[in-house]
Amino acid sequence: MNEVRLLLKKDFLIFINNLLLILRNPLRLIPYGIAAGYFVFMYSKGIAGSQKVASNVNMDAAGEVDVTQQNIIGGLTLLALIFFIFQLYRATKNNITFFKMADVNLLFTAPVKPENLLLYYMARSILPALGGSMIFLVYSGGQLASEFDLDVLGGLFLLFGFALYFFLIFPLRFLIYTLHTRFGILEQLRVGVLLLGIALSLLILIPGFLAPVFWEGMFAWISSPWFNLFPVVGWSRGMMSYFLEGNWILSTTYLLLYGITYYAVVKLVIQYSGHYYEDVLEATQNNEDRLEKAKGTKEVTEDAYSLNSKKQLALPEFGLGAKALYWRNYVQSSRQDLHPLIGLYTGGMAVLGIVLAGLGHFDWFSHQVLYFYLLFLLFFYFMAGIGRANIGDLKKPWFILIPASWSSKFWNMIKLDLVQTLIFALLLIVPSVLIGDYNYWLILLFPIGLIFAYVIGLGVNLIPQVGLDEGWDRILIKPLMIGGIVVFGIVPTLFFSGLLFGVTGKFIYGFGAAVLGLGFVAAILTHVTLDILKRLEFKEL
Amino acid sequence: MLTVTQLTKVYNKQTAVKEVSFHLDGGEVVGLLGPNGAGKSTTMKCIVGLLRKTAGEIQIGGYDHLSVEAKKLFSYIPETPYVYDLLTIWEHMQFVAQAYGVKEWKHRALELLEMYELEDKQKKLGRDLSKGMRQKVSICCALLPDPKLLFFDEPMIGLDPKAIKNTKNLFKTLKDQGKTILVSTHLIEGLESIADRIMIMKEGEIIGNDSIANLKLQAESGSGLSLEDLFLELTKDE
Repeated sequence: MNEVRLLLKKDFLIFINNLLLILRNPLRLIPYGIAAGYFVFMYSKGIAGSQKVASNVNMDAAGEVDVTQQNIIGGLTLLALIFFIFQLYRATKNNITFFKMADVNLLFTAPVKPENLLLYYMARSILPALGGSMIFLVYSGGQLASEFDLDVLGGLFLLFGFALYFFLIFPLRFLIYTLHTRFGILEQLRVGVLLLGIALSLLILIPGFLAPVFWEGMFAWISSPWFNLFPVVGWSRGMMSYFLEGNWILSTTYLLLYGITYYAVVKLVIQYSGHYYEDVLEATQNNEDRLEKAKGTKEVTEDAYSLNSKKQLALPEFGLGAKALYWRNYVQSSRQDLHPLIGLYTGGMAVLGIVLAGLGHFDWFSHQVLYFYLLFLLFFYFMAGIGRANIGDLKKPWFILIPASWSSKFWNMIKLDLVQTLIFALLLIVPSVLIGDYNYWLILLFPIGLIFAYVIGLGVNLIPQVGLDEGWDRILIKPLMIGGIVVFGIVPTLFFSGLLFGVTGKFIYGFGAAVLGLGFVAAILTHVTLDILKRLEFKEL
Repeated sequence: MLTVTQLTKVYNKQTAVKEVSFHLDGGEVVGLLGPNGAGKSTTMKCIVGLLRKTAGEIQIGGYDHLSVEAKKLFSYIPETPYVYDLLTIWEHMQFVAQAYGVKEWKHRALELLEMYELEDKQKKLGRDLSKGMRQKVSICCALLPDPKLLFFDEPMIGLDPKAIKNTKNLFKTLKDQGKTILVSTHLIEGLESIADRIMIMKEGEIIGNDSIANLKLQAESGSGLSLEDLFLELTKDE
């Protein structure tokens, strides 16, 4: 396998060059050293305390159904299941790629065997999944070690449980797309995934309707040990259950199941993918475009999105100057979704909230479920702000040269996002409050909170991206910024909102305090962002 | 050296290339000319194996174009020169040498880097290169294995005037060495002095395929048109 040697050598060189880049300015690693020290300290402290706690946990739970534990396990499994089915569905729309455009140009036309390239890159894709799981484990290791009897084997099963779940999704998606290009069975695959989704929904909902409390019944099946047999989602959970149940044979069996499945998927992909280069070309190009857009080295072009280019638009005039930026975003959004101001996914998310409020009204759900959903949406919009792709546009000459003030250019650039957020929030909260008899102040507070959460995420994304030129600076500073904002902004906000909620027992007071806190953080980040944009102009000139 | 028979490529029910057939003899330099969207790049990408052909046959040196044997015979210089962000120029050369199984490559790599004025930038990472420099690296990488057949997709775009002149000289040198070259471009100037033959594409079909001399003759015997005028005449919309 000459190809494997070749690629290993290339990746080794890339690794070394990366290290050299990081070590060019080693001082920026100091905060990471401190963080690592903190986690080691927490972990060793946790292990010391675990002997005392571990014996109590198992004794009390013996022979009874722990409803809280069942709901937590059920909720997490449900999220993993939704993500899994969604990923399978996406595979019927577009392919994923393991490659970069440099591979396309330099490797795909070289005298190498395509299947060996695919094998190597597919296997290598476990590294990001393992890395992410390791970071999660390092972060949560201290806490887990103090609550449960977490030893090295337990840690390893946790690590592989997380990593293999995320890892196997991509080869599976690749296989689905391969089967589609080979046999032209896109519709059948899509219907298959939809039927699977419907069957699983029924298996979850029916026990809910039969039980006295809907959501306790709802989680009965997916939190039962039988669900561990469900591919991927169940196997990961079964593997990770080692640290609760201590059965290493069972966990190893799930690990083996993963191994066999991966082998089968790779075999099938290689058998059916044939000459797959064209299948990955579009996805590879899109990934490259996204990266370049984030860096600001590429213009946002319409073909970079899945646009409906034939859609006839009757657009209103928005005005001159910086408003052109709003107009451009409006045009793109018009072609990307059902309506420029409210899309298919956001509409679905609003409907979900209203359904939860309705179920709460008929006492099928606790009222608290909607509260959790609203808090989840704040987090979701924060992440959406962080993930905004074309932030590099703010570095482009045309953005700098538009004759308008910085603040007006910046606001017009993000105005559509804010309008969309506001409309979504109102669509969700107004009917929910009216149907579910929630506090009317939510109608005011939730939209504002959602906008603040988005602006904070955007600031976290934008400040390092636009303010720093060195790629590694951006990568290393972004988590630090997030950490700083969480420690000095979000944690105090949560503390005060939790305190108010605890004292008054009313969600609305706690939520109000949270919105106020987010407002402070958003204001500070906006100020910093505008300041950085002004500096950028000076630098460019 | 290259035989394309009845090549057809259909994308999402749209035919980008329609039953295209042509042949390139060893040592020939052929220009594939046409306006934007004519199907030049698609044809070339089908030949080098980046796109799956819908129908037809492609043979390189007597081998199927997707076989490893065929790929040993050619190099491809794409329109957009992507390189590895975190490999230096020299490491790119090393990587390509290994991929193509070139044993004694260092001397040739140095020669090529010198020709494209990259010898003092060998330690620069891919991410620090301008588009023009990436294009030069891409050309150097393609020439390193000393292929018999070369595909250039819009090779002059992004190059500075000196690099353009070097590339034209390079075409002449390669031609003298007996290499076969297929150059896809929408710019007629630059091809006149080096191409033996020009194929003109429009809407996925080859509408003209003749030697430069004959095409010139055809143009002048018409109404005194230049080659450029003839090209515009042939490719204008109905």
